[in-house]
Amino acid sequence: MNTRLLMTLRVTVATPQSIGAVPHGTRRTVPITGGDFEGPRLRGSVLPGGSADWLLLRADGVLELDLRATLRTDDGGLISMRSFGLRHGPPDVIEALARGEAVDPAAYYFRTTPRFETAHPAHAFLNHLITVASGDRRNEGPIYTIHELL
Amino acid sequence: MNARPLMRLRLTTAATEEIGPTPHGMLSIFPITGGSFEGERLRGIVLGGADWVTAAADGTRELDLRVTLETDDSALIHMTFAGVLDDANHYFRTLPRFETAAPKYAFLNRLLAVGIGEAHRDGPVHTIEEIL
Repeated sequence: MNTRLLMTLRVTVATPQSIGAVPHGTRRTVPITGGDFEGPRLRGSVLPGGSADWLLLRADGVLELDLRATLRTDDGGLISMRSFGLRHGPPDVIEALARGEAVDPAAYYFRTTPRFETAHPAHAFLNHLITVASGDRRNEGPIYTIHELL
Repeated sequence: MNARPLMRLRLTTAATEEIGPTPHGMLSIFPITGGSFEGERLRGIVLGGADWVTAAADGTRELDLRVTLETDDSALIHMTFAGVLDDANHYFRTLPRFETAAPKYAFLNRLLAVGIGEAHRDGPVHTIEEIL
């Protein structure tokens, strides 16, 4: 698998909304309040309106992530981002994360697959990219290192 | 990013069903009549499914595949992928996902994967790697 760095994305999050037990698991929605992204080809900020991560904790202990965010590049382009992801790990590691402790991201599996849509010509290459990201769950919000699949 | 081989998947397809121009682009449905998959941890055959392919105005095609896999020890695996096929840039990449109830293959429920596709005359071949 050949990849190259697309961007590092940091999002800041507000208090999660615990929806609770739903037919497919336990649902929690985490509003995204802002953030920034930076890479060799684009950089900018995360817009708070309409950005959130919809989480579903499955019966097998795997957390499914369904993130949607609007990015604004420093040259004024708007990018709609969606990513599906999975997070899981040993019980003690997941419990430490839940307590808000700092955990080495290598201790758990946190991977996502972002897709992008934009009408901005300078960033149109994003429309047809398959990308993969590794996540680092922090208290203030996750950090995603996103690589383009070459 | 690190990855390790998961499987090589060969698909055979029947005549394309051309739905035509829809609000999202030109929709073609590729029925999948069979095929096989093989990797270190699993191997078997493809029972069938289809790939819903929508061509955008710029010629790039978005793939939306669903198939059922049957392993050589009779477990069934539901597989889907979203993908991109951009002939002009030789870019054929997918994001496979798996669901199974078979305990032996439950590791598939917990991983994300990427696929590199190649078009062959008798159907596409996908080299699928697990994202570590």
